[in-house]
Amino acid sequence: MRYKAYFFCLGIISMFLGLLSILAVVLGKDSNITIVEFTSDAFRGGWGGIILLSAGLFYVHGIKRLDDIHYRAEVFVGSGMIWIVGGCEILRMILMSIPGEEGWLNTPEGFVSSYLPPYHPSILLLPFSLVVWMMERYYEKRGCRDSQGHK
Amino acid sequence: MKKLTLEQKWDIIDKIVRKTVSYGIYQHTIKDAIGELAVKPLTGIPIAIAVLYGFWSLFTSISSFITDGFMVKIFDGYWLPWLQKNFPGKPGDWLYSLMVDVGHKENGILVNSDNCLEAFGVLTSGLFVSIGIVLPAIFVFYLIITILEDSGYLPRLAVLLDNIMHKIGLHGYAIIPTILGFGCNVPAVHATRILETKKQRILMMTLVSIFIPCGSQLSVMQNVIPEYTGVIVLYLLFGYFTFGYILNKIIPGKSPEMLIDIPELMVPSLRNVSKKLWIRMSSFLISGIPLVMLGSLLVGVLYLSGVIDFLGKLLEPIFTIWFGVPKETSAPLIAAFLRKDLAVAQLKGLADAGIIKNIYQMVSSVVLVSLYFPCLATFIMILKESGRDFIKIILALFVAVFIYGGLLHLIWILMGVG
Repeated sequence: MRYKAYFFCLGIISMFLGLLSILAVVLGKDSNITIVEFTSDAFRGGWGGIILLSAGLFYVHGIKRLDDIHYRAEVFVGSGMIWIVGGCEILRMILMSIPGEEGWLNTPEGFVSSYLPPYHPSILLLPFSLVVWMMERYYEKRGCRDSQGHK
Repeated sequence: MKKLTLEQKWDIIDKIVRKTVSYGIYQHTIKDAIGELAVKPLTGIPIAIAVLYGFWSLFTSISSFITDGFMVKIFDGYWLPWLQKNFPGKPGDWLYSLMVDVGHKENGILVNSDNCLEAFGVLTSGLFVSIGIVLPAIFVFYLIITILEDSGYLPRLAVLLDNIMHKIGLHGYAIIPTILGFGCNVPAVHATRILETKKQRILMMTLVSIFIPCGSQLSVMQNVIPEYTGVIVLYLLFGYFTFGYILNKIIPGKSPEMLIDIPELMVPSLRNVSKKLWIRMSSFLISGIPLVMLGSLLVGVLYLSGVIDFLGKLLEPIFTIWFGVPKETSAPLIAAFLRKDLAVAQLKGLADAGIIKNIYQMVSSVVLVSLYFPCLATFIMILKESGRDFIKIILALFVAVFIYGGLLHLIWILMGVG
């Protein structure tokens, strides 16, 4: 029950952030809400937003029957989608922080400032999506059956 | 040796089966369930969208990290000045212009270029494009493709897209040369070997060489007209399916069904990935890079001997009347046959000089660069792979370019901006 509630909330937040990202692209306006960045870039904002929206839908649909492995797989896929977008954003930040404008390597100040907020919404969702591993371990221990009755 | 009867053979088979096969209820794992979701259209399409996002994001981040972060600095900061200082001659001399730098005019005086991309020499532009831009991009591209292939996702993507691809006479596995084409058209043409029939191969080679812009072209497009790159790619993809549908009706031959064994989803092994990556990279190093260098040499010879200018003037009416682009774009469009990435960069120069007057002309010119002919390296690869069908492919190319390029001009006219 607690996992159901948790992933329902995460799904709703993910859908909401995805919609806001898409909206920023449609309106063609960059905006920041606290430490979250909604970019008007069609790739990171638009495409990334569609993925966050889909991840939310996977979560909300998957929690219907968490004791069924097929439904749990949907929750897993939702998390996987957030890992893809968030992971790519983190890698992008790391790669952009290394080379310098003029010299070979970035200055210490330039390096640190690359990691300062605002962040893409997926980076904020990423740590919360990792709970899916705990959920899977919990249901594996319980030995749930799938929808065909297989253990 | 004694010949076994049928019964004896079956006995042996039974013994082997008893020793090697165990029976029981198959336990469904989470990996199996995720694998099933990846092939169902309702869930598989969002998964494909996410995977392709990761693909493109990794491709652009890592390749621009290597190219912009380090290669540009090496080539523009050290290699070009060293060559300009030590290579005998100066801009205007034939050998110097061909190998190092054609130079550009400042206050009527021919001076050295300050970056490798504009130098147009075999040892500068040629080496920079092949090693500084294309090589890192191809490395990243093949790395991701190999990981997707070994993880078992690529066959699932093929199954997912099988229905759509059948509409254009291909099957799901045609997605592999298509995706490869976004990296480099040369290995994509080579990869058409996975298709069974001659018809499918002709179709695929034609579609890849016209409608799929390669990685270096995309990165230049992203640099020159970032706000329109997405629209241009969508327009090209629309053409990919429309012309695929038409060509499927015209080209005779069979398009058989696909029957594939879908492997389990798994974490790829480092050994297999590195082995495959090495095989693919070495094949590109052997066949791709010399062709890019040869392209640089040819573009230099044709440029310096005035052939490109002559062809530009000859084909000027077609470019201006049919495609609706300014006459000055004819030279870069002709040069695009050899180096598409540089042609896009030259178009940016024309836009900066006010010759390309609006964004519609710019989009038309960039679309034409993509469409109108494969680059030299791809051209040679098509010649090698298609054999006697080469003429058919070239004919299809010309027809597609005329119709699709003219259609874009017509759209602009109907919108009142052409």
